[in-house]
Formats: sequence, structure tokens, C-alpha cells
Amino acid sequence: MTGSVPAVEAVGLVKTFGSVRAVDGIDLTLGAGRIYGLLGPNGSGKTTFIRMVAGLAHPTAGTARILGTLVPDRSLLARIGYMPQVEAVYPELSVEENVAFFARLEGRRDPAAVNRVLDLTDLGDRRGTPAMHLSGGMRRRLSLACTLVHEPPVLLLDEPTVGVDPALRAQFWAHFRRLADAGTTILVASHVMDEADRCDELVFVRSGRILVRGTSAEIRTSAGTTDLESAFLHHAGLDSEGRPLTAVSS
Amino acid sequence: MSIVRILAVARRIIQGFRRDERTLGLIFVVPLVVTALLGWVIRDQKDVTVEVVMVNSAGPPGQRIIDALTQATIGAPEGIEVISIAGSEEAARAALRDGNGDLAVVLPGALFDDVLAGRRPHVTVITPGTDPATDGAALGAFQALMATLAGQLAAATGGVAVIPIIDRETVFLSASADALDVLAPVFLAYFGYFFVFILTGISFLRERVGGTLERLLATPVSRAEIVLGYGLGFGFFATLQVIVLTLYILAKVDVPALGPLPAFTIGLAVQSSGSPILAFLLAVLLSLGAVSLGIFLSTFARTELQIMQFIPLVIVPQGLLGGIFWPVDRLPDILRAVANVLPMTYAVDGLKAVMLRGADLGDAAVRLDFVVLAGIAALFVVLAGATIKREVA
Repeated sequence: MTGSVPAVEAVGLVKTFGSVRAVDGIDLTLGAGRIYGLLGPNGSGKTTFIRMVAGLAHPTAGTARILGTLVPDRSLLARIGYMPQVEAVYPELSVEENVAFFARLEGRRDPAAVNRVLDLTDLGDRRGTPAMHLSGGMRRRLSLACTLVHEPPVLLLDEPTVGVDPALRAQFWAHFRRLADAGTTILVASHVMDEADRCDELVFVRSGRILVRGTSAEIRTSAGTTDLESAFLHHAGLDSEGRPLTAVSS
Repeated sequence: MSIVRILAVARRIIQGFRRDERTLGLIFVVPLVVTALLGWVIRDQKDVTVEVVMVNSAGPPGQRIIDALTQATIGAPEGIEVISIAGSEEAARAALRDGNGDLAVVLPGALFDDVLAGRRPHVTVITPGTDPATDGAALGAFQALMATLAGQLAAATGGVAVIPIIDRETVFLSASADALDVLAPVFLAYFGYFFVFILTGISFLRERVGGTLERLLATPVSRAEIVLGYGLGFGFFATLQVIVLTLYILAKVDVPALGPLPAFTIGLAVQSSGSPILAFLLAVLLSLGAVSLGIFLSTFARTELQIMQFIPLVIVPQGLLGGIFWPVDRLPDILRAVANVLPMTYAVDGLKAVMLRGADLGDAAVRLDFVVLAGIAALFVVLAGATIKREVA
């Protein structure tokens, strides 16, 4: 990993759909070897932001760089692991065939790489099962396995743990931590706050804008609260029932 | 049973269709368009004149008959005309083979001897044999000349009018060839095209709406690699399909009676003059175009039902205009122009040429068919690639 080059760098990223500004001028720099939580409600612009960073959507304005290279650049894609919000696996292929397929696209023909991610996602004993016969949680795990198989230095994960049982979720996070310790940069988009403490840094977004950025403790302290949900409401200018706070004149 | 619930279900269906303009279009507009197209094709086909090549082996009396027939057909409403006199039956067959004539009539040397001896004379009538319907129409038109022919025979021999016996022969296939012999080769192309288009369209639509396409695009795979990979993958099945269909069309296996099962036959044993390999290659090339077309049109569909809705727009017109049922030359000018850009037209032309006329790559028309089909397949590979959008190359 090159020391001074940010793993992810977004400058003034904007994405509009008609009159809707899904992403409204996000500046964000993420360093290497850390786990970042991109937190916000559904429709806050998390997925659109990640898609632009991955080069899958064209920004209306602004630029994104991955590992110092301006996006879009196809050569970058082998160094990114992108897990979309939907499962995005082939239902008629078996678990192993799905992972092996994405491994081959990434230039990995090593069966050990497939076995490694199948073990990680606890799908080793379902390797021959067609994806269409898996539960929703298992398909989510399979989707994650397909994302991790080529061991990219940057992971962009959109709601990776939805539907995954708590024990396995803990394993995922332990693996994410090992990857980060080895230098991988991980950006996890989520609309739930209960995993935020596992991230090194949090970025709260709402209506396409960054509300606040910092560690979990910093954000709670700055909001004068002990839980992140209240902190989010505080930074969004909402009261405890989600209503806009009344402006206080000085 | 509750009428309220039944009505609720019916109402739900009507409400759903109300917001699905494309399906509404399918229900009301497309059948009208297809029916109108069918009417246009059938009613406005160009009148063709059956061109007759005469062969005279009956000496000067035979020449008088030919002169009389030639006079009889000038400006005649029956749509038949004597266009040339060939020196021999072989020359007449060569003329038909080259497309210079629709019908050859051979007046044999024994023509007048038979009449004088009180026997009905034989006259050989040769047709191309590549299209029973066209051949039948030509023979029908020739019937209009039979009275003239019989009258000339009577005049030449001073006897009563004698209707000659027609010995029917063909240049290609055999005189017993039926519609199946002609249609089977082109159905080889049509069915292959149809199924490959549907399978690819639905499969790629699933890639688009299921999120796997986006996931593919987040890997280093290029758009061209995706399209070509699809072409190879579906091309594999298209190839198998064409092999199975070709074997079924050309082969015939008699299965003997086994116990209570009666004897039966597998395969159509269709008459074929040419190389099955060339026919196979034509059909595969057409199918590869269908793969790219399926990918391309999947862009414009959101559901599998909408892929099916392309059938009357993409598949049916090619069936009507591609030369399967009617020769392209007989289509109205506008429709012929449309037919000339349809891949089915070139596949049907090539398959007919190869399987019915025994043409090979030495035939310029067959080479053109191959080139155009390859060009159309390549064009749709490019168009299909253009519909796979990503911000990287």
C-alpha cells in the first residue's frame, strides 16, 4: 500500500436524477487499512455514492479516485471488491460455481481462494447447492464470498450483513478486521447503527450530504448522547421523535 | 365462491394493465399491425409472368406449335410467356437452373407419331422444383396453353384435338417433393433464431434486473467480453440445437415394432441436394445474430413478459417477409426493401440455395448470404455492447 495516497478520495461528488440530488456534494477521503461505516437511512445516497466510487455510475459533478487513480478506469476494478445491495448471484449455479466464476473474472484460478471464502462464509458444506435453493441469508453470504474471493485492497460493501445471523455476522466483522489490519480499506454502507462500533470511523449521511464524520465515541460525545441513533438525529437536526428541531434565536 | 373476490381479482388485472402501456399496445396494436402486414403481403404481391423455355424435338410441326404458343401468350392475361427456345432438354434445364425461366416444355420427337397412331402424346414439363407452390402456379398457368397445344396437334395431324399427357420433372429435388421438403430447411433457421433470441433476451434481462450485470461490470470484464462470452455460451446451445434439427430434418430411422409398440419412423428424410455442413453454418451464423439481438433488445424490457412482446415485432415479420412462405421478389416494393435488411431473408435464401439447389460457396449469392449474416451478427454485437453501460471501457 502506498503510504500517502488515500485508498478512496471523493471530491465534490454530485449525482442528480431529474430534480433529485441523490448525492449532493460529498468530499470524503479514506485512508488505507481502516473500516469505515457509511451510515444513513434508506434513500440518503449511500448506494449512489458507492456506485460512483466503484465507477458504475457517472457523477453529475465531482471526481473520485481509488488508490490515486481517477475513476473510471477498468484497470482499477481488479483492486476493488464491490458487493451490491441485492444478492446478485446466479441462482442456477451452485455456491462453488458462483464463487469460481467471479474468481475467474478477477483472474484467480486458484481453488484454494474459493475454498477460503467458502469457509469464511460458512458455505463449505453447501458448495454443491444451487444458489436458488439457499435462504436469503445464505445468498447474502454467497454474495460476500464472491466479493472477497480476489482479495482486493479496497472493499465497497453495500449492506453486507443484512439477513445474516448474529454469530456469522460476528465472524464477518472479525474477518473484516483481519483484512483491515492487513491493509485493506473497507467502506461498509448500512442503515442500521448496531454495527457502527465495529468501524474505525463513521460517516453519517442524509439527503446526499455528510452530516458528521468521526469515531463512534467522537460522534456520540459531540452530540452529547450515549447512543448513535440519538447522535444521528442530533446531527440531522431532528428531535428524539424525528421532527425538525425548532431554531433557537440568540 | 364470492363474486366480490372474483371481481377484485379481475379489477386487479385491469388496474395492472392500465399502467402497462406496452402490454396494452401488444393486445391492441400489434395484432392489427401483424394482420395488416399479412394482408399487405398476400394481397399486394407482384403479379409474375411465368417464363417458359421451349424445347423442340418434333421437327417443323413442333416449331409451328411453338410459334402458335408464343403468339397465344403475347399480352395474354394468364401471365405466361414463351421467352426462349433451347436447343436441348439439357440446355433448358441449365436455363432454369440459372433462373432464366420458370418452366420448360419439351416437345418429344415422337409427338406426332403418337398422335397419328391414335395414342395420347407425352410432353415433358420441367420446373425448378425448389418451391412446390411456385411450381404449381407455373403449371396452373401452363394449363391455359393446353387448349392451344391440343388444337395445334389436331391441325398438324388433321385429326381431333388430343390432350397430351404431361410428364412432370424437376431440375432440383424430385417431382414428388412436397412443401415439407422446401419448408424444413428454412424452419431450421426460423426455429433456431426464435428460440435463441428468446433464451438470450430473457437470460440477459435477468442479468440486468437481478443485479448480476452490475456485479459483472464491477469486475475487470469488458463489455465486448460479456457479449462474446454470451455469444459463445448460447452459440454452443444454438449449435447443438441446429445439429439436432438438421439431423431430424435430413435423416430417417425406421424403428421396428417392439412388443405392443407399432413400427414408427424418426426423422423427416427431407430431400436435400447440398452440403449439410454449409446449411449448418448458415443456421449457426443466424443464431449468433439472434444472441446479440436478444442482448440488445433486453435493454428495452423490464420484465420477461416484455421480452415475449418482442416476438410479434421481431420474429413474426421475419417469418412473413424473409422468403419462407413467399419469394421476396414478389413482395411489394416497400416490404421488399424491409426484407432486404432482415437476417432471415439471407438465411432463407442461403439455406434454400444450399439444401434445395445444391449450391456451395462457389455461388456468389451464397457467399453474399454468408457475408451479410456475419455482418448483421457483428453489427448487433456492437449494438449489444453499447447497451451494457458502465463508466469504464
